[in-house]
Amino acid sequence: MLDRRQFLKLGGATAFATLFGGCEKVQRKLIPFVIPPENYTLGEALWYASGCRQCPAGCGVVVRVSEGRAKKVEGNPLHPVNRGKLCARGQAALQALYHPERLSQPMKLSGARGSGSYKPVSWEEALSLLMGPLKTVKTEAPASLLMLTEPMRGHAGLVAGRFMKAFGSPHRVAWDPFGPDAMITANAAVYGVRDLPEHDLANTRYLLSFSGDFLETGISPVHYAREFGRMRGDRETIRGKFLHFGPRLSMTAAAADLFLPCAPGTEGIVALGIAHVMVRDRLTAAASAAGRLSDDLSPYSPEAVEKKTGVHAHDIAAAAEEFARNQPGLAIGGTAASTGQDGVFHCAAVALLNVLAGNVGEPGGVSFPNRAQAFAKYGAETPLLAPPPESGYAGMRAALEKMRSGAFRMAILSGATNPAFTLPPALKFVEALSKVPFVVAFTSFLDETTSLADLVLPVPTALEEWGDDVAPVGHAGAVTLCQPVVTPFHDTRSMPDVLIAAAKELGGDPAKALPWGSFRECIEKAYGGPGGEMEKALQRGGFFGESLSPRSAPRERKTSFPAARERDFDGDPKAFPLVLHLYPSVTLYDGRGANLPWLQELPDPVTTAMWRNWVEVNPKTASGLDLAEGDAVTITSSSGKIAAHVAFNPGIAPDVAAMPLGQGHTRYGKYANGRGENPISLLPAGETYALQATRVALAKTKLSTTLARAAHPEGQWKVKNMM
Amino acid sequence: MKHTWAMAIDLDRCTGCGACVVACNAENNIPVIGEAEAAKSRLMHWIRVNRYWEGEFPEAQAIYLPIPCMQCERAPCELVCPVYATYHNEDGLNAMVYNRCIGTRYCANNCPYSVRVFNWYDYKWEKPLDEQLSPDLTVRSRGVMEKCTFCIQRIRRAKEAAAEEGRGIRDGDVVPACVQTCPPGAMVFGDLADPHSEITRKLKDPRRFRLMEHLGTEPRVVYLKRQKGAGR
Repeated sequence: MLDRRQFLKLGGATAFATLFGGCEKVQRKLIPFVIPPENYTLGEALWYASGCRQCPAGCGVVVRVSEGRAKKVEGNPLHPVNRGKLCARGQAALQALYHPERLSQPMKLSGARGSGSYKPVSWEEALSLLMGPLKTVKTEAPASLLMLTEPMRGHAGLVAGRFMKAFGSPHRVAWDPFGPDAMITANAAVYGVRDLPEHDLANTRYLLSFSGDFLETGISPVHYAREFGRMRGDRETIRGKFLHFGPRLSMTAAAADLFLPCAPGTEGIVALGIAHVMVRDRLTAAASAAGRLSDDLSPYSPEAVEKKTGVHAHDIAAAAEEFARNQPGLAIGGTAASTGQDGVFHCAAVALLNVLAGNVGEPGGVSFPNRAQAFAKYGAETPLLAPPPESGYAGMRAALEKMRSGAFRMAILSGATNPAFTLPPALKFVEALSKVPFVVAFTSFLDETTSLADLVLPVPTALEEWGDDVAPVGHAGAVTLCQPVVTPFHDTRSMPDVLIAAAKELGGDPAKALPWGSFRECIEKAYGGPGGEMEKALQRGGFFGESLSPRSAPRERKTSFPAARERDFDGDPKAFPLVLHLYPSVTLYDGRGANLPWLQELPDPVTTAMWRNWVEVNPKTASGLDLAEGDAVTITSSSGKIAAHVAFNPGIAPDVAAMPLGQGHTRYGKYANGRGENPISLLPAGETYALQATRVALAKTKLSTTLARAAHPEGQWKVKNMM
Repeated sequence: MKHTWAMAIDLDRCTGCGACVVACNAENNIPVIGEAEAAKSRLMHWIRVNRYWEGEFPEAQAIYLPIPCMQCERAPCELVCPVYATYHNEDGLNAMVYNRCIGTRYCANNCPYSVRVFNWYDYKWEKPLDEQLSPDLTVRSRGVMEKCTFCIQRIRRAKEAAAEEGRGIRDGDVVPACVQTCPPGAMVFGDLADPHSEITRKLKDPRRFRLMEHLGTEPRVVYLKRQKGAGR
């Protein structure tokens, strides 16, 4: 008989045996996964297409996602702007996504305004903090709402624009420090089209650059770098020749076959000298058609130009000859070099060369495709989706006046353009913003501007949100679609999403103007929704099928141009002997990349310096001031004084001191802070955002820091062997 | 099938922008070392872009030279490793076995191109920056030498994909991160064993030269000289 006790004993023993037996078996299966076979990686990597927003060029990207994390960004091979290529800044987008200092939740100010001390709050509380003042402003004085963003393209721009219109405020200001204002104005005067030109580098045979920066930070660096490569090597028998005029040997100038230095602020005069020779000697059909030298051109004989610019007369004549003989040829101006009041003249003079070469609308020349075509269905609202690529400096200055007078009761800030950092301190942006009683900032990072807000709302990065975009150049009619390639890493909401929700709560006009449940719904409605065409387009990264129709050519083409204008340098040449030449950093752009360690540790192409900013001077100038490489100097202008280390550039004019923008942050996190001083503080509060029209003086000083440079451990190669 | 991987870098196209460097950082889990270490020339980059000056103002000129590991056919680094941590693999690449490396740094000392970099510390990825780390390759620890691998993980991936489809590797299947991103298209990568590959054609260019050819290291990275003038 089996009694109860025995039954339990037996049962226990059986269970024990089963348990142990089972363990052994399981172990055998487990071991191979504890020590996985060689080259074994978990999961399968997938690629998702989206858009890059590290700068306004609007490239397309594909992102490798493994186990729910973005691992690598590459250019989208199908995208017409960059065709699979990507620059260093685009590659570094991953570090913005997984940045340790990225904002993970909404924050409200807990100390004094500008103290930078914040307290985390929930989204519910944050939205109620936003809606309270917003409702009051809407009922009492809707025009006292200011929206200050970077230029927003695509439907994000539509949402923001419609929100402000329905809200009843005309004060929507977009600020992009490197917006090519002068080029657009000049194009309107010379070509009759108020837009950016498309330069067909790939098919050109002769390229003249006037302080051009198209390979580093210009309008679309990856697009033009790719086109430049094709110009050099993709044709069987033709290699495009490239001449660069400018006061500094930049990265773009280094790629030129011939770098011809000119005095600062004389690029346009060199261009007129070339135009003079073309018309005088009737070198091209368009130049012959211009007939006699006009009064505008006749003073610019090569000899006269040599006196003003320092470029030899025979070089100017030879450049004109070669440019005319090797058609199609192309002339390109620089964006940073044409930021002063004389910028329009320089750009117009360069544009004149394209007209004289007869290359407008031709392959290998300039053309003006209708960029806004994709959004034509929006009629009068089209400029909201495809805004003109202007800097908005005038709008910014007007807004500053209003802010100071107390006209704004609330401000909504967003974007990476960071006006507190990129505007000259002489404009007193920080002080003006303190006059606005309530400031909301949409941002991923606290920086000099967003740390002045009362309420900070974290937004997704470009790799985590929905959106669409039309690039300024090179897009051939494409619309880039952006999608979240990974699940948002933090509890973030995009600015259009919050605006749509806010409009709903405000009711009335705003709710009617933004009739969507979310920004994703807005995008889906616009592109046919999931399932249909949009799904395919999301896989490809956008709509690339249609090609752009060219704009109808202006009826009468003028070959005249704005009057020649000398650059007005700020400062007395006796007290300040050198011309300050500020340029966008190849690695940090306007400073937005300064918090990404990969970009900080990428040696600058010209000076090989890292982690800190510097002042470039000619070795001859330096020896006159008793300065050695790496020495510390103070740079003094009539508006400010900073210190930096010296880096030699043998290709910079002796009367020029150049500094990159982007360093000198004080509130942009530990990777960016304390890496030199911001050279923008040397600029006066000018009528234009003139980056290269200030005089400075250098004086030796002492700094506790040193400038890290990338070494050439193997010594100097014979450069002759490489050419 | 035996492969002979090679890279061509066209100096006529290179603009020195540094996109290759950051692409390599992202692909190969390369640590950021900070300003102080960078000042000691301890950059961990597997590819660097050297800039050389020539001449004085106003005739000054700059020329860029991107330098990855040359993957020498007769590699000076391999001969001196006491523990066979660096060896010639089946495709003729100089591969590294990280967990054999004992950090003598003889290989770096013997490399004429100075492309080998040493982990002087256990470099940390501050959370959550480590979320970006590629699962395809290890994070190297202190005391280990490392260098460019021609993105060996991509070569393996391409081989696996080709084997799955039951075919050989086609030209363009393998593209290292630097070559993939290079905006002006200055870099070309491929298999010299394939007589129809782009790299085979590129290496017939009369502009070709190798760095320090006189040393007899037979580098697998070939440069094409910069040109002058409008024609070819």
